[in-house]
Amino acid sequence: MIAALGRRLLQLFPVLLGVVTVAFLLMYVVPGDPVLAIAGERYDEQTLEAMRRDLGLDRPLVVQYLSYLGRLARGDLGVSYVTRRPVAETIRERFPRTLALAAAATAIAVIAGTAIGLLSAWKRVPWLGRLLMAGSLVGVSIPVFWLGLLLIHLFAIKLSLLPPSGYGGGSLRHLVLPAVTLSFASMATIARVTRAGVMDASLSDFVRTARAKGLAERLVMLKHVLRNALVPVVTIVGTDFGSYLGGSVLTESIFGWPGLGRYIVQAIMKRDFPVIQGAVLFMALCFVVVNLLVDCSYRLIDPRTREEAS
Amino acid sequence: MRPAVLPALVLAAMLAAGCGGEDAPPVVRLAFETEPATSDPAFAVDFSSGTIASLVHAGLVSFDEAGAVQPDLASSWRVTGDGLEWRFTLAPRRFADGSPVTSAAIVSSFRRLLSPETQSPRWWVLEPVAGAAAFHGGGSWESVGIEAPDDSTVVFQLAQPAAHFLSLLAMPAAGVVSTDRADSLGAGYGRRPLGAGVWRIGTWREGDVVELEPNPCGWPRPAVRGLRFRILPEAMTRIAEFETGGLDLLEVPRAELEMWRTAGAGLLSAEELRVVYIGFRLDRPPFDDPRVRRALNHAIDVETIIARLLFGAGRRARGVVPAALRDWPEPTERYPYDPARAVRLLEKAGLSDGFEMAIWQRDNPEGGRILESVQAYLAAVNVRVRLVTREWGAFKEAIANGSADAFYLDWFADYPDPENFLSPLFHSRNRGGGGNRTGYANAAVDSLIDLAATLTGAERSACCREAERIVYEDAPWLFLWFPVRYEVVSPRLEGYRIPAIFNGQRWTGVTLEGVGE
Repeated sequence: MIAALGRRLLQLFPVLLGVVTVAFLLMYVVPGDPVLAIAGERYDEQTLEAMRRDLGLDRPLVVQYLSYLGRLARGDLGVSYVTRRPVAETIRERFPRTLALAAAATAIAVIAGTAIGLLSAWKRVPWLGRLLMAGSLVGVSIPVFWLGLLLIHLFAIKLSLLPPSGYGGGSLRHLVLPAVTLSFASMATIARVTRAGVMDASLSDFVRTARAKGLAERLVMLKHVLRNALVPVVTIVGTDFGSYLGGSVLTESIFGWPGLGRYIVQAIMKRDFPVIQGAVLFMALCFVVVNLLVDCSYRLIDPRTREEAS
Repeated sequence: MRPAVLPALVLAAMLAAGCGGEDAPPVVRLAFETEPATSDPAFAVDFSSGTIASLVHAGLVSFDEAGAVQPDLASSWRVTGDGLEWRFTLAPRRFADGSPVTSAAIVSSFRRLLSPETQSPRWWVLEPVAGAAAFHGGGSWESVGIEAPDDSTVVFQLAQPAAHFLSLLAMPAAGVVSTDRADSLGAGYGRRPLGAGVWRIGTWREGDVVELEPNPCGWPRPAVRGLRFRILPEAMTRIAEFETGGLDLLEVPRAELEMWRTAGAGLLSAEELRVVYIGFRLDRPPFDDPRVRRALNHAIDVETIIARLLFGAGRRARGVVPAALRDWPEPTERYPYDPARAVRLLEKAGLSDGFEMAIWQRDNPEGGRILESVQAYLAAVNVRVRLVTREWGAFKEAIANGSADAFYLDWFADYPDPENFLSPLFHSRNRGGGGNRTGYANAAVDSLIDLAATLTGAERSACCREAERIVYEDAPWLFLWFPVRYEVVSPRLEGYRIPAIFNGQRWTGVTLEGVGE
């Protein structure tokens, strides 16, 4: 297990190097000049040249790339061209908020999604299953933007139950609407996958055996059916949680949530290279780490993967 | 597992925190669409940064709500008859840490703005000062015409007369910074500024909120206890916040205007110091032919576009200077909507089969609707338009490097003066980055603008008027409109008016109902 984990950790380096390189190159391929964003609407060429020189943008691409890698190796993500603040400092400030939103959304998606999936797989009430699955289809298809506005309209404007937007210094009330909005698509997918998994597992030999040996139905469901149905759910949770950690642009924008997503989008608009590169690298790191954890969790949930690996 | 887990979660969250809305705090609650990049006057180039920079820093002079220049750090000033020497007498004022704002501190702040090491994109605010451009280009400071003969006097020697010099000094970039603080913090100054403005920064939570509190040494004293700027990028969110009492002021998006007009209460409006136009690259055929440009101006029914697509929130631009800035009559209409005339003009220019062109725009739904209608109007005179949409960064670069033949753009005043429209947009010296994106060059216009800078009063107006008339006739643009801005205020906010120029509102004249000193 430890050796396998070590191997996986080593494999992260080429992945991250690839991400860094692609993010770096993309910035120079897309049109747009960072110094134009810094200079505003009225500028002179001489000042632009001086800025380019100062930021090192006048050097050959290879030199810029190597010096960027050099800085990365020293753990330096650079300084934003626009705000002139260290990228790492801003990420440190924004990441906890993104993490809070991602964790809340994932928790809601997992709890509500598996519950809905289990309910809809309940054979005794077949119409409920069809209804819930139709509902989850809507859930998968509903645009985040529209859902967010709908929830604001209902819970903030009509019912005055929750604040329409903002981080509120981390208060739970401010977290509810964005977390529910963000969780929706994932919740619906989890519900569908759980239902399919449960129905599959219910028909398998080991469940029939468990029932035949007189195990209580509740235990059969929990120990045998649900545990097997959970493997694909963990994959979904891992992927979604990993991508939420990079910030969820739409949800953050609608709810004025000061997370990483908006930071990156603004940086892209202004061609703020150090921010884009630093944030993309950070997102990639989150994503691969979460994926690694998901892979490890398979080993805990599913004994077969343990055997295959060893 | 219970099915009611989601509603239960929501309910639990609400119970944990109490369901009632919090009491409205004794601060004015406002919103920015984008977070200020900085509060450093030398680097504030966008709206929100300029706003914060001006609230935290005082200049020698500042704009009042109506856009007039008023005393600030300087209590009075006089200018010599030749318009070359400006002498400012300082009021006794202090930075927010209590240290005095001496003439030496002010000169030091201006030196920082001009220094090539600072690399301020706004150094040009002091360009009229003798030797300023040379110093910025690497020359010596000794030859720059800024000096402090005693502790309470600052004197500027200009290279040539500049009637708009006072307006330049009221811009955010001319705000006086404590250079001691700026030198010690470097780039960190943007978040921890030290100025002598009405306000100082209380809290700045990245991407979330910027809270200002009264500067204990500031002047004048505001009646409200603070300003809270929340960062809310989405218009719909800002509306929801306003409707639920979370904001005291809302800029009404044009598409929502009808609703607020019928609601009535608290709706304010003001014509912005901004002009919207479609610019042509004048060095490219067929736009090098004025007949073609005039034909395009005749081909579009701008009034109808304003009525239908802007919901009336604009005034047809006949000329380039907003009404509030001119004391001369608007040029007479030269381009009434007349497609037949447009066709005739195109025929005269040898384009009886019409032609194809591309109009570039930044990614923006309203702009998209407007340009689709422009496209349809031009199609009626056989000009086939392709719309090219790019996001802001790529759009700006396309205009800067000349790959856009024609572009839909606007120009915001930096300071309320006709010079700020005529010179950057049409003086040949400002072609390219200076603001003249079409590459317009007309020697008569250049000399009128230069002459106007040396004059005052009616003579200056006459020059500006003539320059505007020539530009209007030459039609380097498709002249569109001067937008009207609409805002609604909450019932508790009193004494607010829309400022003529964005940094003219310092929130010293507003009060909040039920909130005392």
